[in-house]
Amino acid sequence: MASVTFEHVTKKYAGDVTAVKDLNISIADREFLVFVGPSGCGKTTSLRMLAGLEEISEGKIYIGDRVVNDVAPKDRDIAMVFQSYALYPHMSVYDNMAFGLKLRKVPKPEIDKRVKEAAGRLGIQHLLDRKPKQLSGGQRQRVAVGRAIVRNPAVFLMDEPLSNLDAKLRVQARAEISKLHQQLGTTFIYVTHDQVEAMTMGTRIAVMKDGLLMQIDTPQKLYDRPDNVFVAGFIGSPSMNLFDATLTGDGNDVYVDTGAFRVKIPETRAETYRSMRGKQVIFGLRPENIHDSNFTPPGIHSQEIEAEVEVTELMGNEVIVYLNSKGKSMLARVDPRTQAHVGNTVKVALNMDVFHIFDKQTEKAVR
Amino acid sequence: MKQGKNTFILSFLVAPVLLYLVFVIVPYLGSMIFAFTRWKGLSANIRFNGINNFIKLWDDENFWNALSHNAIAVVLLPIVTISIALVFAFWFTQGVRGSRFFRIAFFFPQVMSVVIIAVLWSFIYNPQFGVLNGIIKLLGIKAWESFPWLGDSATIFWCILVVVVWQSIGFYMVLFIAGMMGIPTEYYEAAKLDGASLPVVFFQVTIPLLWETVRTGLVFIAIAAMDLYAMVMVITSGRIAATSRAADVLSTYIYETAFENGDFSYGIAMAVVMMFIILGLSFFTLTSTRKEVLEY
Repeated sequence: MASVTFEHVTKKYAGDVTAVKDLNISIADREFLVFVGPSGCGKTTSLRMLAGLEEISEGKIYIGDRVVNDVAPKDRDIAMVFQSYALYPHMSVYDNMAFGLKLRKVPKPEIDKRVKEAAGRLGIQHLLDRKPKQLSGGQRQRVAVGRAIVRNPAVFLMDEPLSNLDAKLRVQARAEISKLHQQLGTTFIYVTHDQVEAMTMGTRIAVMKDGLLMQIDTPQKLYDRPDNVFVAGFIGSPSMNLFDATLTGDGNDVYVDTGAFRVKIPETRAETYRSMRGKQVIFGLRPENIHDSNFTPPGIHSQEIEAEVEVTELMGNEVIVYLNSKGKSMLARVDPRTQAHVGNTVKVALNMDVFHIFDKQTEKAVR
Repeated sequence: MKQGKNTFILSFLVAPVLLYLVFVIVPYLGSMIFAFTRWKGLSANIRFNGINNFIKLWDDENFWNALSHNAIAVVLLPIVTISIALVFAFWFTQGVRGSRFFRIAFFFPQVMSVVIIAVLWSFIYNPQFGVLNGIIKLLGIKAWESFPWLGDSATIFWCILVVVVWQSIGFYMVLFIAGMMGIPTEYYEAAKLDGASLPVVFFQVTIPLLWETVRTGLVFIAIAAMDLYAMVMVITSGRIAATSRAADVLSTYIYETAFENGDFSYGIAMAVVMMFIILGLSFFTLTSTRKEVLEY
């Protein structure tokens, strides 16, 4: 069991390409940290540097108290689950799981015990004699996890292990991995481009973009208090609605004017923005905070606007409505009893207790 | 629709299949008939001879001598050439410095003509001014410093085999490099994390994943080992008898029998036997090395 620390870690490739820029993260022992971000953001490179599969250009990586920059991958006490699983096709499931232990000269009875224990935990005992090509995608994924478990590592690394599974299996596998983390009590470091996986599995999420760490926090805090426009738009599905706007008003009032609609900031939050009147900002509001005005929850500060319905998606428990208000598009997640239909003009209520304002220049949250 | 597609495909196949039939299959089958005749090759006088040519083979010392040399080549060439080519291919795909240069250097003999190679090695083996004896002299091994490598019946065939190995390594090395580049790097990374040393990676990851390519290489080189005509002829300058037949192989003996001794039907009989030996060898090589086809 071990903590992991990235200290000013940078990765540069030939041709002036910087894949990871000055990464600083401390991951506590037993934490489930998820690296998330779009393709090319540096999340896999960071994981691979930790695994020892990529050289570190600058900085240090610690596993526990030990700097592992020059430590061979096999000596870092880590185990990795690859995106493609990397199961040796010529070996049986048993041999795949036992391979690393045999190389470490673990006694045969111990190998047998660990393999069967891991297989039992993952429900793959009946597959031990099969070859990888005889397994389904989900079974291969479990064997890959099993191969990592038998090593009893201090840190588990997982590089998009669910990306090759179908949607239904992915949901099931997510839960299994979360359960495994609780059972094993080991540090898990997980890479994904899927923010739903990140939100449902991580104790903390590190959001990356273009090699930079944009924000690291618990899923709920990232969701409720994104530090910048990128995190605001990346976390949450459907994404947060973001509008270019100007803060206006006089006296004590502060308004957000998007050009298409103008809404008042409630008194409880106006003080923060009073000095910013006249400034260009980005106004953000999550889809679930835009309500059909016939079904506005009581007790919130809401502002009504009109918008035309372009598309509706019936989800059963809610309706996702694509709206257009004088050229400004937005998404709303409304009550399933809504009468909104394509082509109607409807009144929607914006919950002004939970809006977000970002500086237009720096794209950072203003609170 | 399917009918139209089949007709379209067949229309492209007709010409090459016809050509192959006329210039390869028919001559093969046609020539097999001549093995049961007595024929000098140029005359119209062809007499049926039953299986006498094959019976004659059984007692022909030169035939068995030539075949024994081929047998040695069939055993040694695959083992030595494939092993060295595999090691080089693995080494040069591990990011070793200068690997690009070495790949070109080792492949270079493949693009050289056999005649040039034979002349080159004749100089190397030359007892007076050859590089080999020069090195032996430098090492101070007086007993061997003027040794006639190509002039001694005990060594000539082994010298030829060395040249064949030297010439062939490049081709198989490139074949295996291409195969190794098709192996996903994740396997090597997983092996690295598991703590596998380079020899373990080579024997337990690379070779099993490359086995189909290795099998193909083994068949190619086994067939090549049954040939060796060009290399033997050029290095010995066609003077097989002068070497006490120490460098004789089946293909050179067939040539001598048919074109120098004028006994075409007997030469064809030997060629038929050689064909069946090669077929059998290929079948044996493929079946004995067969493993499950891997998917990755």
